[in-house]
Amino acid sequence: MGLNYYKIKRNVLKARKLVIKGTIAAASGHPGGSFSMAEIMGCLFNKYLRFDPKNPLWEDRDRLILSKGHASPGLFSNLAVAGYFDPSEIETLRKFGSRLQGHPDLKCPGVEFCGGSLGLGLSYSIGNALAAKIDGKSHRIYTIIGDGESDEGQVWEAAMAAAKFKVDNMTVFVDRNFIQQDSYTEKIMPLDETLEGDDLSEMWRDASRWKLSDKWRAFGWNVIDIDGHRIEQIDHAIKKANQTKGVPSIIIARTIKGKGVEHMEDNPQWHGKAPKPEMAPIINAELESQFMIAPSIIAGDMSNLENEVKRCAEGRADYIHLDVMDGVFVPNTTFDHTKIKQLRPLTVIPFDAHLMINEPVKHVRDYVDAGCDIVTVHTEVCDESSFGEIKDVLQQNQVGVGLAINPDTNLPQWSHKFIADLDQLIVMSVVPGKSGQKYIESSHEKTQNLVKILKDNKFEGTIEADGGVTLDNVGQCFVDGARAFVGGSAIIGQKDVRGIIREFRNAILKSRRRLLIQKANELGGTELVKNWISLHVIGEKKNQLIQIAKELGFN
Amino acid sequence: MTNQMADMRTEYGKTLIEIGKENPNIVVLGADTTDSLKTAGFGKQFPERFFNVGIAEANLVTIAAGLAYAGKIAFASTYAIFLPGRCVDQIRNQIGYPTRDDNKGLNVKLVTSHGGLTVGADGGSHQQLEDIAIMRAIPNVRVLIPADAISVSKLTWIISQQYGPFYMRMARSETPVIHSESQEFEIGKGITLRDGSDCTIAACGITVKMALDAAESLKKEGISCRVLDMFSIKPIDEELLEKAARETGGIVTCEEHNIMAGFGSAVAEVVSETYPVPIRRIGVQDKFGESARDNEISLLLEKHGITSLNIAKKVKEIRSKS
Repeated sequence: MGLNYYKIKRNVLKARKLVIKGTIAAASGHPGGSFSMAEIMGCLFNKYLRFDPKNPLWEDRDRLILSKGHASPGLFSNLAVAGYFDPSEIETLRKFGSRLQGHPDLKCPGVEFCGGSLGLGLSYSIGNALAAKIDGKSHRIYTIIGDGESDEGQVWEAAMAAAKFKVDNMTVFVDRNFIQQDSYTEKIMPLDETLEGDDLSEMWRDASRWKLSDKWRAFGWNVIDIDGHRIEQIDHAIKKANQTKGVPSIIIARTIKGKGVEHMEDNPQWHGKAPKPEMAPIINAELESQFMIAPSIIAGDMSNLENEVKRCAEGRADYIHLDVMDGVFVPNTTFDHTKIKQLRPLTVIPFDAHLMINEPVKHVRDYVDAGCDIVTVHTEVCDESSFGEIKDVLQQNQVGVGLAINPDTNLPQWSHKFIADLDQLIVMSVVPGKSGQKYIESSHEKTQNLVKILKDNKFEGTIEADGGVTLDNVGQCFVDGARAFVGGSAIIGQKDVRGIIREFRNAILKSRRRLLIQKANELGGTELVKNWISLHVIGEKKNQLIQIAKELGFN
Repeated sequence: MTNQMADMRTEYGKTLIEIGKENPNIVVLGADTTDSLKTAGFGKQFPERFFNVGIAEANLVTIAAGLAYAGKIAFASTYAIFLPGRCVDQIRNQIGYPTRDDNKGLNVKLVTSHGGLTVGADGGSHQQLEDIAIMRAIPNVRVLIPADAISVSKLTWIISQQYGPFYMRMARSETPVIHSESQEFEIGKGITLRDGSDCTIAACGITVKMALDAAESLKKEGISCRVLDMFSIKPIDEELLEKAARETGGIVTCEEHNIMAGFGSAVAEVVSETYPVPIRRIGVQDKFGESARDNEISLLLEKHGITSLNIAKKVKEIRSKS
């Protein structure tokens, strides 16, 4: 069944923006740790937690316990998005008389645990889980602890107790963002290995230095290691944890503190500090411009697609683009849902199926069953009624809804009523049918024009640029408004998929940084540009930004 | 009153089983002292509602909080020295603080034994002399120090039926039976054990017996003392104290605890605001304890002035000043 990938992503974005709004209104708070757990929260709230915002104390609800209570803005924003209270209430965060206290408090509907003093949430969760067992209840306890808070001895008392009492109706996350208040965790109190030097990315490079999972394993836990910003990995890990009986389960989610805003990422300064109000529009623009790279495997070895999927996974692709061609709608034939079904167990990376087939309405269920996370069909072979049916089938199965248009096609009038439901619009920049074609230049302008139409029709999805996208034009595609990029021969056709995906990301990032500098200039002139750039103190970002600013004529 | 002795912990363990039979929501937690606290019997009877977390008191308190949040009535027990002193953060933030609507604090009952100096041989490290001070400073937490085994049984029943956090401290050794089975207990109400008009002796826990003995000996000297068993230290019976102050003109307090911020302080707070009269506080004078074998405990108490003799002395002191 579907992952509900887009709904989760959209709500994660909404929640992140509320964190910015709330902490700015409060002029304090903890954005860094709210952002590192944003995708975890998003997966829980939008897929796993059973709750009723109209009846917050519903007996059979799942319990979410945020042990790292200082990340309360991250919890409150999700409660707001989930409908517990109006999102505007986030502006009362930390203020006198507010239900949104500096740390989570039972005053606030949806909050199950008074956090703040660290190291307590796991013990408390065990209490809740044991009570559910005594009562024969099937609800689940979800707990998020911090890595910094794991310095507390009580965490390990609880770890032993959970194993002893076989607490398997609880799923625990460690938000392993490597940063605590004073500095990097590996400097203050190493959970993995002591960090030599100041480059935190060292800790990501060498998994043999990771010891935290071993610690939990030694305490008798089922341990699942994931990248805590990958929704599909979180989803898969929760599924596995929830199926594990007889032992407690913990998901070690390696995350980035401040994830989503470059100047906050991996920067200990943003543990407990609010952004300046004038930075909000730039931060929001940055949050809104997350992007995805989608290698198209038909550009690889068609006789060994299994291997191509593996290369995508090793290359850290966000998506795997699957071009289904039927030899009728397009002259070529590739594969159909049966192949996709075979490929599905190889990875959890979302499958982005692009159906270049006639009468997609007749086949859409097959692609749902095959395990696609989004299915895109062509306007040229749909009408209002058939697309309506396709949309319903996909949504009912929590599969993303995509529409594609050929280079010579415009969005037909009938499609406008569906725009708000679309998770993705593929703008073809080559005539579909085969890999390796050259990008049709007029597609840039076409995409830019489409952005306006989409916006007018409340589009909340992603534009995917598909066809002839290369390192040279991907930056411009980003400027046009595309946020997902299909790479055929330009990615999967290359030897080093991981390297080329990294280069694609860097090219897009450069383009994004340029846009953000321009945005800063529009909002506050060179002064704001300068101030914004100066926030980027970690890694090489600052030098690159200064370089881009120079290219744009700023000094 | 007879000269009968009874063990508080035995009574506590027995009562828990009685309550557990009636109320399936009762859960009991221990920290490797369940034999000593006599809660192990509950565990034998109701294994699915009994959790021994090992030597991990912070975990004990916080798991109890989680169980209580989920609707259980959680009794968490170990030695006094390891609960208030060791776990003040967990008690404050996870038991006292969490409040939803009218439910103030979580429904956890912290019941300890081995309070005060009478722990004896284990020495100063094990003699909890600060628990009243710590626990009464935490909002929503009520503090009880029963005087005898009958009180323990009655109060255990009462706190199982009243929502909210309670701290109840028992003594290690057998204690004289003070109350009759028919004695009624109410949280926030003291018990007048003996009426008198010349002075009041307000006591709690094992010092209630000393107060009664002092009153008896003073009677022979023509001094009429009122004796109050103030087992409910928080909430404290303000009315009873004010009345005693007004009617007897002086109060001697006695506790097996530091006089700083303890029971005597609580009495002084009330009296000074309602009907100020001279007060003398008997208790440990801001010191730690030390080892004393069972046959030497009276010496230890004597060293700290916690005796009926000293109570009588303080009563006379007050009277000579008024």
